[in-house]
Amino acid sequence: MMLKAFVPRSSLRSISRPLGGSTSAFRHTPSSFFLIESSRLRRGYATETEEKDLIVIGGGVAGYVAAIKAGQEGLKVACIEKRGSLGGTCLNVGCIPSKSLLNNSHLYHQILHDTKNRGIDVKEVSLNLQQMMKAKDTSVQGLTKGVEFLFKKNNVEYFKGTGAFVDPHTVAVNLVGGGETSVRGKNIFIATGSEATPFPGLEIDEKKVITSTGAIALEQVPKKMVVIGGGIIGLEMASVWSRLGSEVTIVEFLGQIGGPGMDADISKNIQKTLQKQGLKFKLNTKVTNGDASGEGVKISTEAAKGGKEEVLDADVVLVAIGRRPYTAGLGLENIGIETDTRGRLVIDSEYRTGPHAHIRVIGDCTFGPMLAHKAEEEAVAAVEFLTKSYGHVNYNAIPSVMYTHPEVAWVGQNEAELKAQGVKYKVGTFPFTANSRAKTNLDTDGLVKFLADAETDRILGVHIVGPNAGEMIAEGTLALEYGASTEDVGRTSHAHPTLAEAFKEAAMATYGKAIHY
Amino acid sequence: MASIATACRISTRLVRGTLRNQQCSRCYHASSTALSAQSFTMPAMSPTMTEGNIASWKVKEGDSFSAGDVLLEIETDKAQMDVEAQDDGVLAKITQGDGTKSVKVGTRIAVIAEPGDDIPTLEIPAESEAKPQEGQPRRQDRPSPQEEISSGIDRTEGSESAAESPPSSKPNADAAAGGAANTTKGPASSTGAKPQKQAYPLYPSVEHLLHAKGLSKEDADKIPASGPSGRLLKGDVLAYLGQIDKSYSAAQSQRINQLGHLDLSNIQLAPKKAAGPAKKTVAEQLPKDVPDLPVEVVLPIDLAAAVACQKRIEDTLNIHLPLSTLIARASDVANDDLPRKNLSPTSDELFYDVLGSSVSKIPKVSRGHYAPRLSSFDPSVSTKEPTFRKPQSDIYDLLTETNKSTARQPLDASTAATVVPVNVFSLSVPKAEKDRAQTFLQRIKLVLEREPGRLVV
Repeated sequence: MMLKAFVPRSSLRSISRPLGGSTSAFRHTPSSFFLIESSRLRRGYATETEEKDLIVIGGGVAGYVAAIKAGQEGLKVACIEKRGSLGGTCLNVGCIPSKSLLNNSHLYHQILHDTKNRGIDVKEVSLNLQQMMKAKDTSVQGLTKGVEFLFKKNNVEYFKGTGAFVDPHTVAVNLVGGGETSVRGKNIFIATGSEATPFPGLEIDEKKVITSTGAIALEQVPKKMVVIGGGIIGLEMASVWSRLGSEVTIVEFLGQIGGPGMDADISKNIQKTLQKQGLKFKLNTKVTNGDASGEGVKISTEAAKGGKEEVLDADVVLVAIGRRPYTAGLGLENIGIETDTRGRLVIDSEYRTGPHAHIRVIGDCTFGPMLAHKAEEEAVAAVEFLTKSYGHVNYNAIPSVMYTHPEVAWVGQNEAELKAQGVKYKVGTFPFTANSRAKTNLDTDGLVKFLADAETDRILGVHIVGPNAGEMIAEGTLALEYGASTEDVGRTSHAHPTLAEAFKEAAMATYGKAIHY
Repeated sequence: MASIATACRISTRLVRGTLRNQQCSRCYHASSTALSAQSFTMPAMSPTMTEGNIASWKVKEGDSFSAGDVLLEIETDKAQMDVEAQDDGVLAKITQGDGTKSVKVGTRIAVIAEPGDDIPTLEIPAESEAKPQEGQPRRQDRPSPQEEISSGIDRTEGSESAAESPPSSKPNADAAAGGAANTTKGPASSTGAKPQKQAYPLYPSVEHLLHAKGLSKEDADKIPASGPSGRLLKGDVLAYLGQIDKSYSAAQSQRINQLGHLDLSNIQLAPKKAAGPAKKTVAEQLPKDVPDLPVEVVLPIDLAAAVACQKRIEDTLNIHLPLSTLIARASDVANDDLPRKNLSPTSDELFYDVLGSSVSKIPKVSRGHYAPRLSSFDPSVSTKEPTFRKPQSDIYDLLTETNKSTARQPLDASTAATVVPVNVFSLSVPKAEKDRAQTFLQRIKLVLEREPGRLVV
């Protein structure tokens, strides 16, 4: 009774309940507690946002394909891209714009040099580079907008901004338009792609010293151009500017052009043709120094095995020595994902990163060839690993194409690789000079070459240099995917007269004899 | 011809006797003469698969199934796959149930019977012979070489007789050749090539070769196929015919399969140091997440009021109430209705929430389970986290002004003579619960400092 004197009346009810009861003691206590509770609640629930099934970092070919595919499979997807337009390197500054320039410059070059003997007299031909660039930009814009439309159609949420890992499930997005947000995801795909490898000692300004990005946006045709690196990108860009009037020299460290994947015979064949078109090659030559301080750029070279120095002058130098994975600013350190010595993110056979099975890596920033169509295959496979727990990419059946004229395309193994593996093989070739359609087109450079197992006749590699090789390689890829023999191709009807007949005849030449050669 | 007919007749009889023991792992191919049920063994879903887990059976014991039905799901280290029935049948018995782990390829996992068979009367074949030899998945459908040589005919089940081996002018030589082929085919099968029904059109080269060698289209199903998805390649037929080394085609397929995968061996990791400087800058920008390290939440609490209260009770009621009891009660009270942060609502709660039922709203609070550790005052600890302690208590002083003046004033006076114990209450909690723990401690503080009397009633 006496105690009641100093027990506040208002709290009597609650405190007098048995302690530890399930109902609140504090609900009914003095007002100060309400304050605690409400502030606590605000803090507790403010940061919770909707969790996505999948976040894709990067809206390039790997990223956007993964996002669309996942959207089609009914997942809640977000895609983060900082460029401001989708499609990545390929659509914006790579495959697509370069093909526009290659096609149009080829037309220009052909009208200039290859009409008279066809019976077409063209009076005045002049180049309008600005218009050519505009045509390119129109194509690019149409395609990137198309991807954006596909995002909407497939319910992909599109974040324009730079993504960085905060923790293994949260990606902070620094928005392009200002501001910041964050997304949480059950699964995250890293598809940040690649960037051109810079040449040590030459600072890229995209005006005088350029990468492929600058090479598709030059404002005028340079008089002299030096291309460091005789791989696919270097040769394609060299072709464009050579056709438009540049004097182009290609410096390559290795003894052959086209990169290590290209078959040696094919490489020699295309080099001869390109030389006829006016390109100059310096093989087995390394660039020792570059100086861009003056009006133009001076490139010092020497023979790869030492000796024989030479200085090349150029208005523009294209650095095309390869590409490297681009993962800067991604916050990988925050989540402990490892890279190899070349900067590629380490994955397992299902594209999962070591420490986090819910984070997968696809496209250029991980292993395998840096090709858009490889990235695309991986994107679909990675999504299928999520939804169907099984996905597959046949890395042996991924074609490579170089869009010079004539085009070069190959799939499977080349002769050097087969020799290295000790595989006995047979070779069958067929030249386009013996193909009726190529003859009528007056476009007969090149050949089709099959490599097949000496015992089983199974196709091991197909290598083509010739008109439309890039389209024709699809048949070789299909044959490889199905484990076909050259006889299977040789016994399959090909329309007449087509360039594809050369493909069939080369197959016939492998297991038997070609008819027309 | 006569000899073949005799062989068939003998074989029918033999089959009756032998099939009971003989395993037909492909068992989809039930011979109509089989009186007993047949073992259904763990199939090899890929050339490299040696064992798998049974995820779940899609067909129940006693149920019948037809060709193409999914019988069960198998998990391997690579993927989960459906096993489809190749023929109509009845699932007589499941010997390896759902969730069985690491079942070797070729081990019996079920017993199946022909459609219409009377299951209770069927003999369940003994399992012992179903055990495959290591590295020879799915070879049990063929008799061992010895068996074959001794009888030469028992493997010719029904009309499918001579198809196993390439035809030649003399049946005798044929059998011998078949035997030889089988013995040498051992390695081929271990590399994954196995005969299977060619569901797709045969490749032109294969069809051509079969015709040239007088083999029928049905024979193609008997040739070990090493192509993608079990397709029959020209090389497989050449190997079968003995024109090239028997194992060559399968070995080649394996080599090419390997080319189809990314080479992820010998990855040279970038040295960690390279990431060092970058790490720091990013870590500055972004809060680092360390969910697992428990954090220490401390709050010094003035126990003077509690002591005074204790004294007063002793004086007035002559009951000694230990301070520990007061603290225990205070923590009990403080544990009530702490804001819930990491607790997800139960399904019932969600359901009512969706209904908008006001009766069962998702509670935003729950009971905590904290037990504070108590240590005597330590200045070094108190200076550790000064931020939330002082200002908070000031706010409460302000907010609870009335309480203070009414309840505290007399207490102060009475305890002026006694030593004022200031104790540090601490809690070690996961980082995510820090806020909750702080709330808890502040409540204890409030109860013990302001109104310890409430704890006694």
